[in-house]
Amino acid sequence: MNLIPDLEVHRPVSLGEALKQMEAPGAKPLAGGTDLIIDLREGACEARTLVDLTRVKELDYIRESEGMIRIGAMTHHTDLMTSGLIKTKAPVLSEAASLVGSVQIRNLGTVGGNICNASPGADTATPLLALGAEATLSSSGGVRTIPLGEFFAGPKRTSLDTGELLTELSFPTPPTGSGGAFQKLGRRKGCTLSLINIAACVELDGDTCSEVRVAVGACAPTPVRITDVEEMLKGKKVDEAVIDEVSSACYGLVQPSQRAHSRASEEYRREMSCVLMRRALTTALERARGNK
Amino acid sequence: MEYDKILEDLLGRKEFLVVGKSIIRTDALDKALGRARFTSDYIQPGTVVVKEVYSTHPHALIKRVDTSAALKVPGVLAVYTGADVPGMNQIGYAIPDQPFLCDEKVHFIGDPIAIVCAEDEYAAQEARDAVVVDYDPLPANLTIDETLAKGAVHIHEGGNIAIESRIRKGDVEKGFSEAKVEIEETYETPYQDHAYIEPDVAYAVPEGAGKVTVIGAMQSPFLVREKVADVLGWKLNQVRVIQALTGGAFGGKDDTGPLVSAKAAMAAVKLGRPAALVYDRFEVTAYTPKRFPSRIHLRTGVDKDGMLTATKVDIKLDCGAFANRAPYWLWRQTVHATGPYEVPNVHVDGTAVYTNKVFGGSYRGFGDLAVHFAVDSHMDRLANELGMDPVELRLRNVLTVGKRTASDQLLDHSVGIEECIRGVAEASDWAKIREPRRNGSKVRGVGIGTAHHGISTSRGAPDWSAASVILNEDGSFTYRTSICELGQGTPIGHAKIVAEIVGAKMEAFHIEIPDTDTMANARPTHGSRGLTLGGTAAADAALKLRGQMVNIAAILFECEKDRVDLRDSVASCKDDASKTISFKELAREMYIRGANPAAYGFFTPPRRFFDPETGLGVSYPAYTFAATACEVEVDLETGQVEILKIWPAMDVGKAIDPLLIDGQIHGAISHGIGIALMESIRLDAGEVVNPNLTDYVIPSSMDTPEVAESILVEKPYRHSAFGAKGVGEPAIISIVPAISNAIYHATGVSFNTIPITAERLHAALRRGDR
Repeated sequence: MNLIPDLEVHRPVSLGEALKQMEAPGAKPLAGGTDLIIDLREGACEARTLVDLTRVKELDYIRESEGMIRIGAMTHHTDLMTSGLIKTKAPVLSEAASLVGSVQIRNLGTVGGNICNASPGADTATPLLALGAEATLSSSGGVRTIPLGEFFAGPKRTSLDTGELLTELSFPTPPTGSGGAFQKLGRRKGCTLSLINIAACVELDGDTCSEVRVAVGACAPTPVRITDVEEMLKGKKVDEAVIDEVSSACYGLVQPSQRAHSRASEEYRREMSCVLMRRALTTALERARGNK
Repeated sequence: MEYDKILEDLLGRKEFLVVGKSIIRTDALDKALGRARFTSDYIQPGTVVVKEVYSTHPHALIKRVDTSAALKVPGVLAVYTGADVPGMNQIGYAIPDQPFLCDEKVHFIGDPIAIVCAEDEYAAQEARDAVVVDYDPLPANLTIDETLAKGAVHIHEGGNIAIESRIRKGDVEKGFSEAKVEIEETYETPYQDHAYIEPDVAYAVPEGAGKVTVIGAMQSPFLVREKVADVLGWKLNQVRVIQALTGGAFGGKDDTGPLVSAKAAMAAVKLGRPAALVYDRFEVTAYTPKRFPSRIHLRTGVDKDGMLTATKVDIKLDCGAFANRAPYWLWRQTVHATGPYEVPNVHVDGTAVYTNKVFGGSYRGFGDLAVHFAVDSHMDRLANELGMDPVELRLRNVLTVGKRTASDQLLDHSVGIEECIRGVAEASDWAKIREPRRNGSKVRGVGIGTAHHGISTSRGAPDWSAASVILNEDGSFTYRTSICELGQGTPIGHAKIVAEIVGAKMEAFHIEIPDTDTMANARPTHGSRGLTLGGTAAADAALKLRGQMVNIAAILFECEKDRVDLRDSVASCKDDASKTISFKELAREMYIRGANPAAYGFFTPPRRFFDPETGLGVSYPAYTFAATACEVEVDLETGQVEILKIWPAMDVGKAIDPLLIDGQIHGAISHGIGIALMESIRLDAGEVVNPNLTDYVIPSSMDTPEVAESILVEKPYRHSAFGAKGVGEPAIISIVPAISNAIYHATGVSFNTIPITAERLHAALRRGDR
């Protein structure tokens, strides 16, 4: 492992200032640094200019307005975990945030950093995908909003343009009759990377599943929705047999890494996608039924 | 003298003052508040930065080392290769097979070739990367079978076998003919990284001509002194070694301490400036010694009554690039090969082989973890075949006073394994929790593991310890040992022994950090000897000082010496309550009257011996015994294992401090869970591919189970202070088989290799391996 290379570090206090500094060639934002510092030491990050966003307080918020829950990119995992709004309206996200790394990582790491690091197994990515989140990208030139699924371009790659920052993640406030759940499998119980994680959000209209989004992490080059499963559930009366059937289908729908020295084998991840999907859907439906 | 009877025989008391009671560690507050000083805290600005150039080939001849580009890097002071070593370019521990800096060939990826010295970290890193090494690659032997294959390239001059061992006791074929059931299996245990918090570090300061001081993380200051002196070509008294508080070691720093210290010392002496070598996590995980992997083939017979009749064992130990501790490790495995059970006919063959991988080394449990995993897994299989309860089978065969070990050592006292097994069976309500329990996809099981672990060095190597205690003029005491504080608290145990004997308050003590210039060699902190031998040397010193204190007190009180009582840092006359003086006054009187206020202790346990042809003899002075019961819950859908509860028991001889023992037991439980369920060094063509704590996964606090109250059995050992036996290593040994047997009980799947990861268990359940 190498030393952190010589870096120019900017410490803006406003978004405007940060966006200007992001225009420098090869500039990279520093949020919690829990991934970036390791990348710098391993030579996986070429950046020599860092824009430290920790003082940009205007990116640190969780609020609800006009039927949308909006989360600033510099919101820490600990805040997602403890926020009353998230815990009551989108527990799938607070659950996932509570399982990110350790206490120290959750205190330093941010949701924006977790998404921009674009790990295929990022723990906050799957719940946000399942919540139908959008990503707001800002640059000196303007602001654009894209579905989160389009934000991920590959393992550790995003669709951010040069000079652009992820500034906000937002999703419609889950309605009454909806429920979500997060399932994660790691190599130990605490402070663990996901071998696979799954988030499911469902909405019930009586006994019928009116809306459903499921997303899986560490089972494809990016965190992804599994629309085939969603289609199989939508408009159906869901019972145990239906859940079993759609969950089993995951085996052939996920595309885990086949790399040697991967953290888990392709076969194990396929099998676990079925188990975790069944558990996530079962819990999400239970919560939806109780959410009146 | 029978040191276990000091209290009655020499102190004339029936009750203990501090021994046997749990105290708050004297160093607890400093460590909790971050005030304790570790090696890196001593390193001053302006210190020369030392880095190593490592081999990138698992096996190759070195054609040329070109340092010219490295020397041109601004800020670089020197680059040293093997040719620059002033003394011996050889640092092998048991066998001289390990160059200090490789000059002819490299033996694994990570073998050191040169050291780079620079003004700062960046210059050192740049220069390290600029050193050019031309290799002539050789075929690499990466497995036991590859290296033993006919025609395999030799890793060292003598071939690929480092050392062999054997036991021939009784007649195994006759024993097998008497067996009703025979089971034969091969068990494998992997590398394990120590994953200590503090990476390896040494700071060396030249002290004028012909003297150097090394401050570092280590377990044996005197071994470090010897190796530094060898490398420098100096006498022992030219090297002063100070062991700073060390942030975890678990055996690892016994091996790395000399290697790291000698490099820092060579740089400091050659440059005439303070120099420091500080490892990062990558270096620690990829290049420093690991738990030796081993492959144990076990064939065991048991008769219709459940009595073991014979055991035939073949041990293959994978040394990696160098033998290092392998002769001792293999010997320990050989003489412990039956577990804590009596077997009349024993045949053991052990072979330690070289491979082109990171080398093995000292590690908590030292070979016995692998052996007991094999033996206790085997016991459960035998019990299953016999239709007998696993606890019952163990109790029928367990070592008791009057029985003989695998090496035919007669155990005449201090044998508490039966009580340990009975203790955990009773505490866990064994018969009841052995009933199968299933809830949805979760199934519960319970298992038992056992341990016996010889105290002191292996192969009958001479062993001794030393200690010193000074009564200062104000009544305070200074205690000195070279047994190291590594987090386990052994020196505090020593101080308690001294306090008990001289009747002082614990707060009157200051424990010096080890310094080789101030005392004779007290030998290493390994082999579970730190308390048993080191503590007894402390008792020897304390008894002498007590005699000197009592002499003066008796004169002052005008009474007989046996009427003087020392306790709570006050001397008094048992017959006259008016006659008391504080230790402060007593100390002043001693200094004024010319009575020696200091004492020096030295101790050696009874000599051991063995016949190299048969391996029979007295292998260890004493054994610590342990048993663990474990309840697990297995998720049959994911293969995940949750350890629900652990019931630990240990025969500790005499508990000097139950809380410190709990510290060892609880730590060992997590440590054992690590190797049983998750820890795995992964190699690709000899290269460690997970040299970090992201992918070398160790248990987190969330993986810690409920732990029942420790059952401490006290069967004192005659030749140690108050009868105490070491606990740190034995604590881990029985955890692994307890877990694997609990999984076996829950699922019917018996694993011959660890770690039992969720993925492996899931695959086994899928295949129906029952």
